[in-house]
Amino acid sequence: MHTDARTLPNGSVLEADICIVGAGAAGITIARELNHTPLKVIVLEGGGFEFDQKMQDLYRGEIVGQPYFPLQAAALHYFGGTTNHWAGWCSTYEPIDFEQRDWVPHSGWPIKRADLDPFYTRAAPILDIVPDKWSAGDWKNGDSQRVPLLNDSKLLWTKMWQFSPPTRMGPKYRSEIVSSPNVHLYTNANVVEVVGNEGVNAVQSVRVRSFDGKEYSARAKRFVLCCHSIQNARLLLASNRQAKAGLGNDNDLVGRYFMEHFEMPCGELALTRPASTATKLYEFTKLGGTPRGEIATTPLAQQQHRILHGTASIEAGNYGDPVLSTFQFLDTLTLKQQREWEASGRRGPPPSSKGAASAPSTSGPARFYHLTTRQEQAPNPDSRVTLSAEKDALGVPRAKLDWRVTDLDKHSMRTFYQILGAEMGRTDTGRVQLKDWLLSDDKTWPSFISGGWHHMGTLRMGTDPKESVTDPNCKVHGINNLYIGGAAVYPTAGAVNPTLTLVALALRLADHLKTLT
Amino acid sequence: MELNRRRFLQVGALGVAAAIVQTCREQRDRGLDQPSLIATLGTDRVRELGAHYRAQTPNESTVETLRAAIDSNRGSRLLRKSIDDAVHDDFANARTVLVDGWVLSITEARQAALFSLSHPA
Repeated sequence: MHTDARTLPNGSVLEADICIVGAGAAGITIARELNHTPLKVIVLEGGGFEFDQKMQDLYRGEIVGQPYFPLQAAALHYFGGTTNHWAGWCSTYEPIDFEQRDWVPHSGWPIKRADLDPFYTRAAPILDIVPDKWSAGDWKNGDSQRVPLLNDSKLLWTKMWQFSPPTRMGPKYRSEIVSSPNVHLYTNANVVEVVGNEGVNAVQSVRVRSFDGKEYSARAKRFVLCCHSIQNARLLLASNRQAKAGLGNDNDLVGRYFMEHFEMPCGELALTRPASTATKLYEFTKLGGTPRGEIATTPLAQQQHRILHGTASIEAGNYGDPVLSTFQFLDTLTLKQQREWEASGRRGPPPSSKGAASAPSTSGPARFYHLTTRQEQAPNPDSRVTLSAEKDALGVPRAKLDWRVTDLDKHSMRTFYQILGAEMGRTDTGRVQLKDWLLSDDKTWPSFISGGWHHMGTLRMGTDPKESVTDPNCKVHGINNLYIGGAAVYPTAGAVNPTLTLVALALRLADHLKTLT
Repeated sequence: MELNRRRFLQVGALGVAAAIVQTCREQRDRGLDQPSLIATLGTDRVRELGAHYRAQTPNESTVETLRAAIDSNRGSRLLRKSIDDAVHDDFANARTVLVDGWVLSITEARQAALFSLSHPA
């Protein structure tokens, strides 16, 4: 079922067993899981089925601290959420990402990787990738050139990526949601406040407001906020009529520990024997293309060198060429072409990546390769989302992002490249050069730090309410019926993109919700 | 002095052995300023790296000090490692140095420095 909430009479009250706020990757996944169950489910999506600039502007925010991408460009506010423009990069978090590491302050999830394994398996087909195929050997494809480098290394290994087409969850799952007998989707339904009960230990309703000033409310037994890491935190902080610091924020943790992935060109690789060194496993072909590998640090390397988890992509190019991060070149050219290709009904071959533009100009096997890092950032309570003094068109304070980095972040990147250089040299595979910016001290960064446009943390998961906002089931501590879907609950960021893990966690949450009813 | 046949052969063999050792040493020493790195990075870049290394390591900025440093890293005179083995062992045992951002074995960095002295631009 579907209703455009703008058609509802002012003062309407919607009733359900479960109310999902936000229809992005997490919200749609949970709604689909609850489809064809006895539960009455409503999904409140702020946007419609298409991009709308006025709606998108609700995500605009204030940037303080580290310079960052405009917030209204970093996440999409309509049905399907940010899957409407994601690039489809999928990989699993590693077991060490879930562990408490004594060299990474505030690390450790309350669940283990093994707890997520069955959900990774279930998440894969949702994103149109192959389940449980994450080793280099799984993707040799009968090609002797698709083999990992540094095979004998104890410090480095090849971590595999799969590429979703990329799945646009809005178009793909719209009819399934709209035709559901028990899931009722309301579009253009922006939640402006989460309202607690008298004791503020449960959510009673959410208030919905539209641009024409009409207001509605939704009541449910349980609520799941799936708005996006920054907007989820913003909504809880702005729900401050009953709890001055915001809902679920008794310990001043809501909005803290905001994390990104660093995605930065960090070095060059010169192969010793280009003609006989197989690098095909590492090639990026196109969006939705063949799985590729990246060189990653092993748990042993992370432990021995007390560094964060990172990977490095290897892209053939001319020495000294300027290098854009993977996302940057995808965003500026290929994504535009990809959208046009999709809009035209996917006629003809899909657009290839601009990576080809940086391919070596000389004939024969490439000697030089650009190395681009993907790395988690250390959880940092001072890296946070708060409320701006400015309000949006619906009267809700905008988000204020104070993104901060730590010395460990840069130290880890530099150390990773020194390990990579030593291992490339030990095996006489090649030599590695670190970029100038990486050579300076741990506190000095380039003027703009490139991130992956991935927003994590802000409502971190844990067992202790004094150190976390949500419990291992993604329920907000102290609020009996309020749950969080999405990457906001990540206590650490892992080295790879968050979407696959986000969908796996959403499936896990959906299973949990089903057990409660 | 009487020189019998046996004595003559002994002296002769020693002379030949000494000549071989000397030739090998000269060949080996000639290889010291010809780093394999040239094949990977090219002569110009290796020369620049050599100059960088000498600038950042002033006490290793002459031919003599560089040869001595390279040799001291290759073990005793009789059991001296080949340059390739020394480079491998450097990388395996964290004897690396950053030169203009490149992660180099200490041996090949010194070789680059020698190259920059013996083959100036």
